[in-house]
Amino acid sequence: MSENTSVPYSLVRFKRFFFNLLRNKKSAAGLTLLSIFVFIAVAGPLLTPYTPLGSVVSAQLNPPSWIVYFTGPLGWSQNAEFTGIKASSITGATLTTTSIGGDSASFSAASGASGGTVEVQKFVTWTYPGPAKRFVTSLSITPGPTILGQTVIATVYLDRFVGGVRDARWNIFDKTIDSNSTFEVNLDSISGDLRVRLGLSTSNIDPAQLIFSRQADYAYALELTLPPSANIDFSLQNFKLQIRGSTWGWLGTDQAGHDILTQLIYGARLSLIVGLLATFIGVGLGLVVGLIAGYLGRIVDEVLMRFTDMMLVIPGLPLLIVLVNVLGPSLTNIILVLGFLGWMGFARVVRSQVLSLRERPFIEAAKASGAGTGYITLRHILPNVVSLTYVNLALSVPAAIVGEAALSFLGLGDQTSVTWGRMLELARESGGSATNLFWWWVIPPGIGIALVSLSFILIGFSLDELFNPRLRRRR
Amino acid sequence: MLGLRSYLLKRVLNTVLLIVFVITLNFIIFELMPGTQASISNLVQNPRVFDPTQVARLLKLYNFCKEVTITGPHSYNCVPTTIWDRFSAYFVNMITFNFGDSFQTNKPVLHDMIQTGRLVNTLTLLGVATTVALLIGTLLGVVAAAKRGSIFDSGSVTLSLITFSLPTFWMGLLFIMIFANRLQLFPSGGVTPAYWAIKTPDLLGQFLTRVQYLFLPALTLTLFFYGGNLLLTRATMTEALSEDYINTARAKGLPERTVLFKHALKNASLPLVTNAALSFGGLLGGAIITETVFNWDGLGFWLFNAIGWKDYPVMQAMFFIIALCVIAANFISDIFYGILDPRIKYE
Repeated sequence: MSENTSVPYSLVRFKRFFFNLLRNKKSAAGLTLLSIFVFIAVAGPLLTPYTPLGSVVSAQLNPPSWIVYFTGPLGWSQNAEFTGIKASSITGATLTTTSIGGDSASFSAASGASGGTVEVQKFVTWTYPGPAKRFVTSLSITPGPTILGQTVIATVYLDRFVGGVRDARWNIFDKTIDSNSTFEVNLDSISGDLRVRLGLSTSNIDPAQLIFSRQADYAYALELTLPPSANIDFSLQNFKLQIRGSTWGWLGTDQAGHDILTQLIYGARLSLIVGLLATFIGVGLGLVVGLIAGYLGRIVDEVLMRFTDMMLVIPGLPLLIVLVNVLGPSLTNIILVLGFLGWMGFARVVRSQVLSLRERPFIEAAKASGAGTGYITLRHILPNVVSLTYVNLALSVPAAIVGEAALSFLGLGDQTSVTWGRMLELARESGGSATNLFWWWVIPPGIGIALVSLSFILIGFSLDELFNPRLRRRR
Repeated sequence: MLGLRSYLLKRVLNTVLLIVFVITLNFIIFELMPGTQASISNLVQNPRVFDPTQVARLLKLYNFCKEVTITGPHSYNCVPTTIWDRFSAYFVNMITFNFGDSFQTNKPVLHDMIQTGRLVNTLTLLGVATTVALLIGTLLGVVAAAKRGSIFDSGSVTLSLITFSLPTFWMGLLFIMIFANRLQLFPSGGVTPAYWAIKTPDLLGQFLTRVQYLFLPALTLTLFFYGGNLLLTRATMTEALSEDYINTARAKGLPERTVLFKHALKNASLPLVTNAALSFGGLLGGAIITETVFNWDGLGFWLFNAIGWKDYPVMQAMFFIIALCVIAANFISDIFYGILDPRIKYE
């Protein structure tokens, strides 16, 4: 093969090694899987507009939207938002709009001698066969200074229109305004006030279920009732009503209405980081201990290996639990503890390899030509155990990821971040310890853990075959 | 015989060394613990807040002062202990299983461990799961090795790899979701139903209910454990089946079952014994998680609760006892090895 001479040999070798790896069916599958996860982890924030524990995207505990393909559409709904803002006069008033659009409107209302009423509306067509699960509203209104000394009654309604005719109206809020300071209304259908107001205080039905239960046109309306001969400016901002359906997105929502897909994506990122960093620490330590013990031999070897054996015997998970509990459950501590408890097996492997290498003629030759211990270790021994390192790196990552997940599951995870293990902990916690588990919340993180583990195991096995000629022949 | 005796002596020495190491490690971890030190120095520095007799009692209890003399209503003199004093006292406490009182119940840790039935619960779960896993794993491993390359072989290997790499707690959650919540075949957690406190059924009823409660956690733990066993059995059996004495046995016209179980498995069982002992630590880790998932009131679930309560005496005791169990398992397997393997006697 005549390669371009300007390419360094190590790169050529790496290329050849890489192609060998791709030619193997197992490692090709592993690499493909892994690169998907790495892509998800790196591109995380670009893949989802939400944050894992910050954005409430829909109602709580919604199954994924595609559930309708299995159960039929009956009884299910999705999110909907009111749009198309419109301001108009109802009785005895003239309304002059200065600006209107989106969520805001500015207008002035002038009433006649017997008072008058104006209204601002937004609309939605509810097309889902099932009822909504929840709604949240917001508006903030700022009257002009001419309101001082007069009173305006603001009422918020939800109207239902069937065939263009209003057939139901729910009064969800009212208040008398008499000052020109900004005044905000934020309603959540789950709140007790609204239930009482709509006569639902004794039932389990959310007001959203009652109101948005029919396929019809709905209006979200703010009515302002003016006193006689008044002329007042109003500025309406943030005039929104979001209906939360009973299904959401690809993977549904958790207890608080957070997007589970987002959590899964961010979880991939943290789980991979934890797994890789902990493994690097563990493999690095194992390499150092193994090299030192193997090459220096005698008393150093004896002491180091005795210590290694002791650490090997001590049960891993209880020690992990105790250590993380003592140091505090931060992500850094978890990585460090997982790393510092994951070196023993590898140290033994490296040591035995070094012991056999030490007796080879080329080491003897190096010694004879005056090479020092450090030089021999770094230049002659280390390159010969590197292949072991690759295999061990690949095979240790799953252990670290599962270890972190187990810790998180036991409540010792970083409480501020979302990993796959913590998702499972939250899923179990919210179910009142396992009497109420939700499949769309429990299954994805487990599959994530399993697939990442699988990809590393596949890569590790084929690396082993690649480096270990004995295994290759046996296949 | 001399070889065996010196071998055993070496193992005993090693075991003692290990126990000392575990106690030391435990001491260092809990000595470094920020909570204990902080609360003790708080006691020492703010004597006014606390009743001095109470403080004196606590300081003695936690081994922080050698002598406490009460000098006034809000003051006392303390002769502080050195770290060596504390270590020796700690060492004696651990050796004599004097673990202090649980923060949760204010009762001795040993009492909470044994009298409440936790130890029995854990042993039941572990015993059932280990036995079933060993039986199934070994049996399937032998069959897989005998039918090497068949669909059964690759199927059982793949299945055991899958169950081996799935997180235990996730498997447990799946079982709860499917068998407890959906199919309602088994309870989702606990050891015995709550109504037993009022009316306990007859013995047969008790037994059947207990089995029902035990089923899912035992299944989870079994699946966690059998895979490794199957793979190892298959590997050692494959090697054993290629030996000459197997050919001899077959040539003699012995039935295949005798060849497999009497000749091959007997010789392949040595690594299996060692592996069972070595994987005991991992099994205990799996038990902690399984018990937590199923609210199985055993030692693992207790440890989990102790974490939430910051119940350090319980945590220390549990860590020590689990480590002791693992050390004991290793010791026993070493001795077995020494007795079973003729090569060790004459080395």
